[in-house]
Amino acid sequence: MAHEMWTEERPPEDFYRILDPNGELQTDPPELDEEELLKLYRTFIATRILEEKMLNMQRSGEVSLVARTLGEEATPLGCAAALQPDDWIFYTYRQTPALLYWKLPMVEVIASATGREPETIAEQVDTEDTPVNFSPDYTPIGTNVVNGVGAAMTDAFNDRDTVTMVFTGDGSTSQGAFHDGMNFAGVFDVPAVIVCQNNQWAISEPAHRQTGSETFAQKADAYGLPSARVDGNDVFAVYETARTAVERARSGNGATFIECVTYRMGAHNTSDNPNRYRDDSEQRAYWEDRDPVDRYETYLRDQGILEDDTEAELRDGINDQVDDAVERVRSISTSEPERMFDTILHGESWRERHQRAELHRELNDMNPFVDFTGEGFDE
Amino acid sequence: MSNDLDTELDTDETAIDPQETETINLITAVNRTLHQEMDRDESIRLLGYDIGPLGGVYRGTEGLLAEFGDKRVIDTPLSENGIIGTAVGMAMRGERPVPEIQFMGFFYPAFGQFMYAVVKMYKRTGGALELPMTIRIPYGGGVKALEYHQESTETYFIHTPGVRVICASTPAQTKGLLAASIRTVDPVIFLEPKKIYRGVDEPVPTAAYTLPLNKARIVQTGSDVTVLTWGAMVQQAQAAATDVDADVEIVDLRSLSPLDIETILDSVSKTGRCVVFHEARRTLGLGAELSALINEYALDRLKAPIKRATGYDVHFPGHDIEDDYLPDDDRVRYAIEAVMSYEF
Ligand SMILES: Cc1ncc(C[n+]2csc(CCOP(=O)(O)OP(=O)(O)O)c2C)c(N)n1
Ligand SMILES: [Mg+2]
Repeated sequence: MAHEMWTEERPPEDFYRILDPNGELQTDPPELDEEELLKLYRTFIATRILEEKMLNMQRSGEVSLVARTLGEEATPLGCAAALQPDDWIFYTYRQTPALLYWKLPMVEVIASATGREPETIAEQVDTEDTPVNFSPDYTPIGTNVVNGVGAAMTDAFNDRDTVTMVFTGDGSTSQGAFHDGMNFAGVFDVPAVIVCQNNQWAISEPAHRQTGSETFAQKADAYGLPSARVDGNDVFAVYETARTAVERARSGNGATFIECVTYRMGAHNTSDNPNRYRDDSEQRAYWEDRDPVDRYETYLRDQGILEDDTEAELRDGINDQVDDAVERVRSISTSEPERMFDTILHGESWRERHQRAELHRELNDMNPFVDFTGEGFDE
Repeated sequence: MSNDLDTELDTDETAIDPQETETINLITAVNRTLHQEMDRDESIRLLGYDIGPLGGVYRGTEGLLAEFGDKRVIDTPLSENGIIGTAVGMAMRGERPVPEIQFMGFFYPAFGQFMYAVVKMYKRTGGALELPMTIRIPYGGGVKALEYHQESTETYFIHTPGVRVICASTPAQTKGLLAASIRTVDPVIFLEPKKIYRGVDEPVPTAAYTLPLNKARIVQTGSDVTVLTWGAMVQQAQAAATDVDADVEIVDLRSLSPLDIETILDSVSKTGRCVVFHEARRTLGLGAELSALINEYALDRLKAPIKRATGYDVHFPGHDIEDDYLPDDDRVRYAIEAVMSYEF
């Protein structure tokens, strides 16, 4: 039975864990003060509320595509919390908690899902400097791994103590760019932490279709990187492992690869219908019992850190914040069509000028093809 | 091997019986063809990610895993370079792999295997090793998708010798061209216009059949102007033709590489005017080559300069303005009107 719960070859729950699924400590918790503990909790809840809202907006056509973190939140959250201001995060589309933890405004998160031209969003949303640096989000998978490692190489060569954290999925480890990144990270001892958020699915493919290795963690051996395999639904274990890796990187001892084992509770994204390829009711029940937020909440309540009224207050605050962000996104206008020519190259060219004029004419019901000399159009 | 693709492909062809048709859309035509070809030839294997239980993100391979098993419908690790590279190895051993790349914009990691192995093997072995493989790729915009899900960058393939580039424009064309691609001994890039995967149904013969890989198709004849186009733009050209004061001849190129230059030159020589209409960006889009060819070999027949109604030279834009980017019946109509209005 156990094997069916698990898409890797390794027996279940053979990983580092601090907080068990019932919210009980198996070993000493990380040294986090009450404020930090509540910040983690707040980020968990904010992620759930925000993503739920975005899902609704997708259904009503306000945003185009939403990929949720549901059930996987502890992995990006625990990892991100181990960073310091000025560090870097190279992320994909499944790390919302990392964005919110480091105060990326919700309006930016939602706006980027509208599919509008980036200039339109940049102009109409007041971007705020976040304490850590974020790479742009990445659509083509694997690409960010090798870019992140390159960024970390500059820190190594310049003796800076900045750390770069790179997120990748289980499926993405099959890309050449993942292996390039791991290899360069090992050769150049870069200050990076590469995190495999193993949610056991890549769209319709289970994780064992991606690798013949017993675990993803052991891939690190081949590149001369130390690795860890942790309960990705235990924010304490994730945090503690990431903290050690970040310290190691910061003190000049090179990169670490961390496999966080979790489970994709929902669809790959809003275009996907998992009923077509997985009947995972049993698996889902198993993972629901291991929910990252439930166990953490139980722990906080047992410790007397979280009470009903603090929770209600916190949820109200988040709801207001989400509503505000949604309102601001709704006020962003659609893009001027000519925006498509912006920020491609610096400087001017005949080609760009001419094609802008063509588009302008087309939009104003004038024939864009009547320049037969290259001298342009008389209106 | 015979060089005559018509004859070669006709040998295995079941007579097309127009009595027996089913009305289906383009993606169903893909599915039917794969099914029939896999039934016919055991050396055909499909490779790709999400093509098994899911049946492809666009359902092109739906039901095939159940029918043919997981040795012939292979969900691979998520590596495009791995998919194309292993397909090459299979073709080297006499099989006919049909890999799917989920979106054209995700072909790029496979360029290594494409350039080093797919297109070169036949040449570098002096003809000893053939690589019969058909790489299926949905391409094109108009579906309000994420970045890299709308690409129309066929130029990269067309620019490269050693591979046929085929693009279908209707369900019936898809069935015949895909079957022919799978049966030919050359590597083929088979482009599927995903914007019209669904929504346009037409009667398609139920029996297997092939269409020539080396002949353009005259969609409609006309005497004033030739529109050269392919894929999802064919329909748009047809719409424009009904709405313009000119007798328009529409040529669906079908084979983007190599080109059926005879048909192209015949048509343009007859009409004396030409518009190239493609979704791809203009600079070094296939329109550039077509325009050059016509100038080289039919200049004295031209009554007007050739115009290119195309995408702009930009990255495919955000959803809110993608309709302003994409060429459509209006854009090609303007181009037709422009060449019609021209006087030397
Ligand atoms: C180069 C490339 N190929 C294919 C895709 C299409 N695609 C998007 S997400 C995805 C699955 C990724 O799975 P995984 O790495 O496990 O990340 P998860 O979605 O589970 O977080 C695929 C195949 C892509 N974005 N980029
Ligand atoms: Mg995954």
